[in-house]
Amino acid sequence: MADTVLEVRNLKVAFPCPGGVIRAVEGIDLDIHRGECAALVGESGCGKSVSALAIMKLLNTPPAVCRVDKLWLDDLDLTHLPDRQMERIRGKHMAMIFQDAMTALNPVMTVGKQIDEIYLRHSRLSRREARQRTIEALELVEVPEARSRANSYPHQLSGGMRQRVLIALAFACVPKLIIADEPTTALDVTIQAQVLDVLKNMQRVHRVSALLITHDLSVVANMADTVYVMYAGKIVERAAMQEIFLEPLHPYTHGLLASVPRISDERQPFVQIPDAVPHPMRKPTGCYFHPRCPRSNDPCRQRMPRLEGPDDGRAVRCWHPLRQPHEVRS
Amino acid sequence: MKRSYVIQRILYAVFIFFVVLTLNFFIPRIGVHDPAERYYPPQGGMSTIEYEIIKQFTREQYGFDVSAFQQYVRYLQGLLRLDLGTSLRSGSPKVTALIAQRLPWTLVLSVSTLVISLFAGLLFGTVAAWKRGRWQDTLLLNASTVSVALPSFFIALMLSFYLGFRLELFPAYTNPNMVAQFDWSWDAIRMVFTNAALPIMSMSLGGIIGYSQITRNSVIAVTNEDYVVTARAKGLPQATVLYKHVLRNALLPLATSIGMNIGGLIGGAIIIEQVFNWQGMGTLFLEANSTKDYPLMMGIMLFLSAFAILANLVTELLYVILDPRVTVGDKR
Repeated sequence: MADTVLEVRNLKVAFPCPGGVIRAVEGIDLDIHRGECAALVGESGCGKSVSALAIMKLLNTPPAVCRVDKLWLDDLDLTHLPDRQMERIRGKHMAMIFQDAMTALNPVMTVGKQIDEIYLRHSRLSRREARQRTIEALELVEVPEARSRANSYPHQLSGGMRQRVLIALAFACVPKLIIADEPTTALDVTIQAQVLDVLKNMQRVHRVSALLITHDLSVVANMADTVYVMYAGKIVERAAMQEIFLEPLHPYTHGLLASVPRISDERQPFVQIPDAVPHPMRKPTGCYFHPRCPRSNDPCRQRMPRLEGPDDGRAVRCWHPLRQPHEVRS
Repeated sequence: MKRSYVIQRILYAVFIFFVVLTLNFFIPRIGVHDPAERYYPPQGGMSTIEYEIIKQFTREQYGFDVSAFQQYVRYLQGLLRLDLGTSLRSGSPKVTALIAQRLPWTLVLSVSTLVISLFAGLLFGTVAAWKRGRWQDTLLLNASTVSVALPSFFIALMLSFYLGFRLELFPAYTNPNMVAQFDWSWDAIRMVFTNAALPIMSMSLGGIIGYSQITRNSVIAVTNEDYVVTARAKGLPQATVLYKHVLRNALLPLATSIGMNIGGLIGGAIIIEQVFNWQGMGTLFLEANSTKDYPLMMGIMLFLSAFAILANLVTELLYVILDPRVTVGDKR
């Protein structure tokens, strides 16, 4: 039995609004083992980022309403942990890397100071020692001339450097879990590859578990060990990384993979899943995917299928999966 | 480069000051055709020749006997010696002396007002933002609606009437001997502040609410910024997040507003000073205006403009320290 670093059971997040309730996350379960990188994949608005913030307990309540049956980080039970104590966990045992490093860094504070803060908060270091650690942290994420760059303001750094600063920030205290929310979306492709390398390297070296949130399947192929596919607030498929690419079970996953353009088929038009993600306040009855699904029939319109499959292996939430999970060798 | 920015701002301020002083000099000269006639209107029993002599004498005395351009040059020369000219009051006091005499009294009011408004505004604004949508926030919103609807002189009159006459908490009207008797003793200082209490209250109310509003909106805007989430994700306690990340950034728009208000600081509140008969710059300007004391009016105007320009310059330079992004447009 591999030891589990993050265990989430039945996480729900809702936002009450004037016109009704937005159910952003509808009971998701996650298990991430030590050193493992799990990817949470889905289109914009499917509840990926909200799930991440909810796990970090960073959502403002109100307006958000969060419920979770079980939230364990390694040997720490965070399920009902009050804010005060959560502050001691965040940054030290679980950290987050944000999408847009330009806005995620305080513009009027040098990047060095922003990293110092985390050492000063979580370990008994003097300012000078904290700065020394900061410089080491920046060197680890391959920021050149770390000592002088530490005195730069975010706007004086390039996008790739800023993202490295965020990675250094997240790994500063070598947490048990890193949540990376679209860490490379704001970067151009070449820088993206470099930053992913840094991230992967850091994760391997420190044996830190990671939850990677992305809509970019190439990032998944690059980084992830396990993949959770999310659609309209629910997990629709869970699989190991190779499996999901070789043999997707859910029609949605299949559609996602089919819509990735390939250089080899130049002449083919782009494939896409018809229509768009349902409005979060007007989700369809039955399976949320049925209006866009080529395989849907009556039961799909009436009842939401369950996520079926062995506890720790492949699972799919579909009445008509491409194949049954137990038929697939894993 | 920072130095080029500083030099650029200083040159700009000097240029603006020059434009202001030129306008300030020429505008009164458009209105008054013959100042001598204004100062000494024709009186009965005076022959035309006698009157012409008097007028000529007056022109020479006040320097109107030469062309406007020559007057302008003289005026500039005077300015270089920090001489704003001579008032038309009896005794011909220097304009600078009159201003120097009144300025401290106005500063008593305006500096206290600024300090009170700023601290109270910051506090209330932050609380309202933190308790967004709850009663503290609603209270601020309603208070600001009311304060916008109430003119400051009305508030001054009400305070004077209720706190001054009815409850006799503070002098409803400034003690006329306050200025003459002032000798830096503790009693004198206490007297100044009891007399100043109501004017300061009347002036602070608008300021408190104005700064609260700016602070509230700015804090709310900053609270939604990603870097505040980052700060929380680092595990910083709420108070640290608020103080180091939210307020630090929320202060930027506030600094602009303070800079603009400081310019008006020494002008004195003409209406409030009048209501409480406070002998400050506002009353001085009003006196100059009603006696058509042009040199004094011009002197006050120029002094106020110079101060406003200086205040804006200081704010702009301070911004370089407050917000490192300001020089981003320059080559590094």
